[in-house]
Amino acid sequence: MEKSLNKKDFDNFITSLRGKGYKTFAPKKNNNLVVLDEVQGADEISLDHVITNNSIKEFFFPKTENVLSYRMEKNQVQIEEPEGFAVKAVIFGSRPCDAFSLPVMDKVFNWDCSDKFWVQRREAITIVTIACDKCDSYCFCTSVGLAPDAKQGSDVLLTKISSDNYVVETVTEKGESLIKEFESVFSGPSSDSSDRQVATVEKKFEIEKVKPWLDENFVHAVWTDFSLKCIGCGACTFVCPTCHCFDIVDECTMTKGDRVKNWDGCQFKMFTMHTSGHNPRSTQGERWRQRIMHKFKYYVEKFDSILCVGCGRCSRVCPADMNISEMLEIIETEASQSENKE
Amino acid sequence: MIEALRKKAEELLKNKTVSVVFGYGEGSTPERTRPVFITKPEEVNKLTWNKYCVYNLTTYLKRQETRKLGKPAIVVKGCDARTLIVLMKESQIKREDVYILGVSCDGVGDPLAEKCKACDVHTPRIYDDLIGEKGENKELPFDERYAELDEYENLSEKEKWEFWQKQFEKCIKCYACSNICPLCFCDRCIVEKNQPQWIDPSAHARGNLSWNVTRAYHLAGRCINCEECQRVCPVDIPLNLLNKKLAKEAEKNFNYRPGYNIDDELAMSTYNEKDNQDFVR
Amino acid sequence: MSNETTFEPRIVAFLCNWCTYAGADLAGTGRKQYQANVRIIKLPCTGGIDPLFLIKAFERGADGILVSGCHPGDCHYNSGNYHARRRWNVFKPLLEFCGINPDRIQFSWISAAEGGKWVETINSVIDAVRVLGPFEGYQKINAIGPEGPGEGFAPSSDTTGCECK
Repeated sequence: MEKSLNKKDFDNFITSLRGKGYKTFAPKKNNNLVVLDEVQGADEISLDHVITNNSIKEFFFPKTENVLSYRMEKNQVQIEEPEGFAVKAVIFGSRPCDAFSLPVMDKVFNWDCSDKFWVQRREAITIVTIACDKCDSYCFCTSVGLAPDAKQGSDVLLTKISSDNYVVETVTEKGESLIKEFESVFSGPSSDSSDRQVATVEKKFEIEKVKPWLDENFVHAVWTDFSLKCIGCGACTFVCPTCHCFDIVDECTMTKGDRVKNWDGCQFKMFTMHTSGHNPRSTQGERWRQRIMHKFKYYVEKFDSILCVGCGRCSRVCPADMNISEMLEIIETEASQSENKE
Repeated sequence: MIEALRKKAEELLKNKTVSVVFGYGEGSTPERTRPVFITKPEEVNKLTWNKYCVYNLTTYLKRQETRKLGKPAIVVKGCDARTLIVLMKESQIKREDVYILGVSCDGVGDPLAEKCKACDVHTPRIYDDLIGEKGENKELPFDERYAELDEYENLSEKEKWEFWQKQFEKCIKCYACSNICPLCFCDRCIVEKNQPQWIDPSAHARGNLSWNVTRAYHLAGRCINCEECQRVCPVDIPLNLLNKKLAKEAEKNFNYRPGYNIDDELAMSTYNEKDNQDFVR
Repeated sequence: MSNETTFEPRIVAFLCNWCTYAGADLAGTGRKQYQANVRIIKLPCTGGIDPLFLIKAFERGADGILVSGCHPGDCHYNSGNYHARRRWNVFKPLLEFCGINPDRIQFSWISAAEGGKWVETINSVIDAVRVLGPFEGYQKINAIGPEGPGEGFAPSSDTTGCECK
């Protein structure tokens, strides 16, 4: 089903959604940043940014959440499980790379056990993506098999065709029923829908060359050399739409407490620290290797997907300017060189 | 200046005075630089110097990976050099274990970093070699140096609470602030200790408040205001305001500026019998 | 039974073993009356009071805090209170900067002989916090566990405490 939507009808769409009980999230200016956050109307929505500072994952897998609460009373433990965490919502204006991270992460959150927090939120939230009409030098979606107007993961995709007009394509049944529910907001197919304004994202490396090289080079000087400047914080993993490691802690008083699930990251020194004091990844080089290996080798072997969508957030926020696409370019060069040797 | 810097670095590496030079190199974009670690004389052309050299490279003195490289020469601006003084006073490094390549600096960042607006250490107060012109460092008056705080100090109690709650709400507990800080050098941070768990590790309002207050407090009378915590914060929390407030109180009450005079006693490991106690009943 | 609508502040007092705790003890043996809103935590010296203790007290529901130790020059360990005073000089303004009312976190010097000063001080701290009302800002963020009555400062005697704490 193809329709179009004029910018001036965005507000009508948001208000109609809210009228029907949907929560609405969209890119919004917050001081120096543009973040995906709740909006009441279209006037709050930012449309001239490259990508939001926060990724879409926090709406499905928040930075911190209670998985249960408990109280101890008379030698008994009462457990309360959280309810109402999956709220019917629409995320409007997320980017295609962010949207694609969701089906990639579905695989791990439905793997050996199904993570109810993720699954229920996935059902409750509809994704209306706006294709990128601009990009910056950190973007590399085209290098990992995506595109600035990729559809996978979105329920509805909007692509700019003129300064005020967007072509609307439904991708999933969920998207289709959303458009049907709010049909009056949308116009019919646009006549100029062939002239799509989509950013041109430069392809930086051949992804096919990466995994074979990783298979052979668990031990290599590049891991240490490249990560010398790494300060071992978790900024890259926390802004990443596909990093999904978490830690479970109990926060309690004498008689009651919460079991909390928090984001955790492989770049922290403490991440793999054993109680014995032994740390299997004792240097930053090993931790950096883990990040690359997990994204481009282990996850591929296990789930047949690359755990990276090329959004470039990690490189943008890195305190020491570690650039992930640069790392992959180095790997590609190394791979080509060893091919030539053979 | 870049040529002089490269020449000096080359000389130091050739003479084996040092095994590595910590400096600035070109970054991902023209508006960015990045730390580089030069170990071979023929690589000195990677070194650069421009207004985007905001990093405080002394943070690499605490990291085991870069320590392994051997005795460093380190490129420092005036503000960064103050960190070295604190690190020496706190017995983290010895003067002879580091070769200080001071650069004279007219301010970094575009737009100009906040820290540079009230800078009175354009020329480092400690160095082995100075790259660039030696300027005169005229100490700025107290009020001028802390003027940034006025706006926030004048808020009402409720406004202050709401402002900081809104800021801390954004915190994702990535610990970039403490990892980048050259003076956060504890092998194991208080937040990583869980018996007992003083600071909740969760990134909720309670955990974020106690973390951010504690991080700042542990830098009281030590922070030299390099603003790195604030620069690296991926969610844009104005962390340096907290540090600056503490620096202001330390200077007001103890007449002490960290890393300013190498002979001054560290504020928080000493005391004066006449210290302010107006607030004690 | 007291009127339920009346706010009774919860005050935590961190006292040094040698002076203020003894002073409070003296007030007790002297049968001096003071308001019962205070829970005393005895520590060896004010010099050993990490500001994290104070944050934790707020996290666990305190409306106000008093930290008290020996007068300058009287420290049992010679200089503990001097070091403590340095910390308070920066920590108190930091909390104020974050929007915590200065009356919620107070400091005093009370010697072992000053039972009267203890009564006077703690009463005035309690009164000041009573005027401020409950620490609503912190109460919004300090809920732990299922909703419902918490153990507050006095766990009921028939509950089983977590051994690890």
